[in-house]
Amino acid sequence: MARKQVDLLQGTLHLLVLKSLALGPLHGLGVSSRIDQITKGTFKVKPGSLFPALHRMEEAGWLQSSWGESENNRRAKYYRLTAAGRRQLDTETQDWQRISLAIATALKAT
Amino acid sequence: MPLIPRLASFWRNLFHKDQVEHEFTEELRTYVDMLTETKIRQGLTPGEARRNALVELGGVEQVHEKVREIRMGQFIETAWRDIRLGVRALLHSPVFSVVTVLSLALGIGANTAIFSVVNGLLLQPLPYPESERIVDVWHTPPQHSFPGLDKFSVSPANYLDWKAQSSSFEQIAIYSYTGFSLTTSNEPLPLIGAAVSSDFFSVLRTNAMQGRTFTPDDERPGQDNVVVISNGLWQRAFGANPNIIGQTLIINSRSFTVVGIMPAGFELPREAELWVPLAWDDKERQMRSIHDYLVIARLKQNVSLNQAQADMSTISSRLEQQYPEEDKGWGAVVVPLRDDLVGDIRLALLVLFCAVGFVLLIACANVANLMLARAANRQKEIAVRIALGAGRARLIRQLLTESVLLAVSGGVLGLLLAIWGSKMLVRLGDLPNLDDIGIDTWTLGFTLLVSFAAGIIIGIVPALQFTRTNLSDSLKQGSGRTGGSPMKQHTRKALVVSEVALSLVLLIGAGLMIRSFWKLQNVNPGFNTSNALTMSVALTPSRYSEPHQQLAFLDRAIEQIGAVPGVVSVGVTTTVPLAGGGSTQPFSIEGRPVGSIAEQPMAQTRYITPDYFKAIGIPLRQGRFFSDYDRDKSVPVVIISEAMARRFWPGENPIGKRLTPSFHVEQGAREVVGVVGDVKSSGLDIDSSAMMYLPYRQSPRPYLSFVVRTASNPESLVQPVSKAIYSIDKEQALTDVQTMDQVLTASLSGRRFNMTLLLTFAGVALILAAAGVYGVMNYTVTLRTRELGIRMALGAGRIDVWRLVLGQALTLTLIGVGAGLVSAYALTRLMASLLYGVTATDYLTFVSVSAVLIAVGLAASFLPARRAAKVNPTIALRTE
Repeated sequence: MARKQVDLLQGTLHLLVLKSLALGPLHGLGVSSRIDQITKGTFKVKPGSLFPALHRMEEAGWLQSSWGESENNRRAKYYRLTAAGRRQLDTETQDWQRISLAIATALKAT
Repeated sequence: MPLIPRLASFWRNLFHKDQVEHEFTEELRTYVDMLTETKIRQGLTPGEARRNALVELGGVEQVHEKVREIRMGQFIETAWRDIRLGVRALLHSPVFSVVTVLSLALGIGANTAIFSVVNGLLLQPLPYPESERIVDVWHTPPQHSFPGLDKFSVSPANYLDWKAQSSSFEQIAIYSYTGFSLTTSNEPLPLIGAAVSSDFFSVLRTNAMQGRTFTPDDERPGQDNVVVISNGLWQRAFGANPNIIGQTLIINSRSFTVVGIMPAGFELPREAELWVPLAWDDKERQMRSIHDYLVIARLKQNVSLNQAQADMSTISSRLEQQYPEEDKGWGAVVVPLRDDLVGDIRLALLVLFCAVGFVLLIACANVANLMLARAANRQKEIAVRIALGAGRARLIRQLLTESVLLAVSGGVLGLLLAIWGSKMLVRLGDLPNLDDIGIDTWTLGFTLLVSFAAGIIIGIVPALQFTRTNLSDSLKQGSGRTGGSPMKQHTRKALVVSEVALSLVLLIGAGLMIRSFWKLQNVNPGFNTSNALTMSVALTPSRYSEPHQQLAFLDRAIEQIGAVPGVVSVGVTTTVPLAGGGSTQPFSIEGRPVGSIAEQPMAQTRYITPDYFKAIGIPLRQGRFFSDYDRDKSVPVVIISEAMARRFWPGENPIGKRLTPSFHVEQGAREVVGVVGDVKSSGLDIDSSAMMYLPYRQSPRPYLSFVVRTASNPESLVQPVSKAIYSIDKEQALTDVQTMDQVLTASLSGRRFNMTLLLTFAGVALILAAAGVYGVMNYTVTLRTRELGIRMALGAGRIDVWRLVLGQALTLTLIGVGAGLVSAYALTRLMASLLYGVTATDYLTFVSVSAVLIAVGLAASFLPARRAAKVNPTIALRTE
């Protein structure tokens, strides 16, 4: 992979997890590979930060988990977005867009 | 996360930790496995793939720990923040907090105390294994002889037939409940105990703690000199001597060998401290019309109460046909043991439980009003928080945390009150202590539940109302008072109205009890209770089985007691009125058809000495009293009560008529020589029934109850009179030593207990309601100060202001009273059986209690009204 990997900012991880689950339920590994995929390898989410995030978001009521069968018949815990999670995704997306725009503008300024 | 799922998750994390942990371990393992597979697919060897995957995972334990923290942390963190905020807010208004906590403590404490009794008596199983299968079996007597009586003791022969023929019981046992006298080095110790058949203990499935209980061998006459003692007696009388088994005790002047000690808490029949075998001889086994015994049984597994009842009814009707002479009209009834133990108390307890619940509701309404007022003062704070982005749910939660904090503090304090209170209740109420009434886990749970419920009740109204605030309005109002919006005032008033209504219901209940009690106290018992002393002795069979022995004891006792200075007269009977107990027997009237014993009329029977009527103060209506010449060789005579004369010789002169009591057929017909006044023998609330008195000397018995009339305070004669009797025989224990006034008082103790408690609760309710009315009126006046000022400026006089304020208070109270009257009308009929001489909807009580409440409502608004009348228009208009 040519691109350099970037450390995740606190908060960004939530947004990425929410985004990755927006298309449908995934298990833990699924979430990290989806993030890898949609960021084109920029972000690698390690289990050490992935699981605390998943559980925190579940406690916050954004995610819901349940046990299910994986693609190769393995029992895995799947996470899905709740209604609150979807709302959170909207808010965080808007916030992020505002911030990134602001930062981009700031950086362009002379 | 909304509160409920959050609590659920908190619960899961706290109490199902293992499962949560296990799930996460599994989740991680799947992750590693799947990652390994992915890496293998990418071309690594299985070994490398796995190692890589594990490296990527990092420390399993670290990940675990992080997740754990998150799971627990979230909830505790917010809860903790709310609690800290709450405590800080409450410390800001200490007076409010103290008043609230105290009133809730009273309410919750009273509820907990009553619940501990309800729990101990009605909810917890009796302290015997599978106690729900234990039943009492009673006779039902013929209704023409015992109108209204639904349970009657059992005769030996009928019991033996029940035992042989019934198929519903695993075991069935019979016992008699009697007094014993235990000889000690000092005065004999009177004890309550039972003579029991050997199955008695297996019905209860309770073994001796040490030694053994009885075997069928112990039931044989001559081999029955063994005794089982209670744990309490063992400790009290024998200093818990471990070698007591095998020792000999002198009980009723007979030697008994101690064979067993029962475990602590075994107390059946009530207050029993010793058990001896019931050894019937052949004659006793054939007695069919002597009803002297109680029957207890254990239902077979899978046999219902109804099946057992049907079984017993079939057997009874068979016995009726087989022995019409004795058994005609006698049925049987199967009653759960608990119903018998707590029967009379159940309704009273439930009424008290309701009452105390009402008190708590009133206290909650009061506190809710205080909270409303407080929230009104904090409106600006709340508005600022909302403006700063606090969510409504978050605010409600914080306000509720505050109120729950208050209520739980009240609950903790209340629990302390209840520990003391439940002990008081058991003592004052003379309750059967079935299962150590006190604070157990159930009671703790109840208190916790009630505290939380109270917290939510008092917090929810203000929380909902004040978070719905219109932001700009509140902020604009600056430091001015708010909370005066019509809706909030309506809530406040509704709360007060319900307080008034609830306390009216309580007051009416208490009023009805007081009226009943007052009526009862004015019931003439038919004898003179003042300056009279009574004590009883059951002569022990080993020394006093022969009539001449009994008579000798009687003569010496009367002589000795009569010689005590201060004694005016001495009478002897077999049962003192109002003390409970007494025997009833059939009789036939000469010249009228004599039916079988079962068909004969019944009358209560007492055996008395000539001076009895004089000593106890029962008046002669006709004829004469007995004299010393009415003895065994003289003409058999009888004296009857007015009720008996009215019932059997209406419009006739009964004097000179002859009747035969069926237990004394051998003495032939007795001549009625006198008619005396009726007495209340079984209770002031029970109508006097037919009563006949036979001369003790014509048919002596081993049971003597002395009635001693004294010149002055009878209590000072207790000692000398007891000594006089003990000087005759040291082994005959005196029981039931009390003044006749005490007998009368004791017969009302249950009612007095109920009345006192209900009255206390009603009093508390009244005070709380008054405080509620005062609070609301005071607040109204504050809110309307400006308006009042304008009115006065426009020419309204002080009288008008008074009228305005008092009028509003009156309206509130009247609405409350109206609602209360309707509820009371519906509710008091449930307590009808606790009343005497008044109907449950006694209009006098309803009207007078309403008047009291209206007066209190007006009195409570006196101060606010005066304050309103003193409003100075200029100042009022300038402020705000």
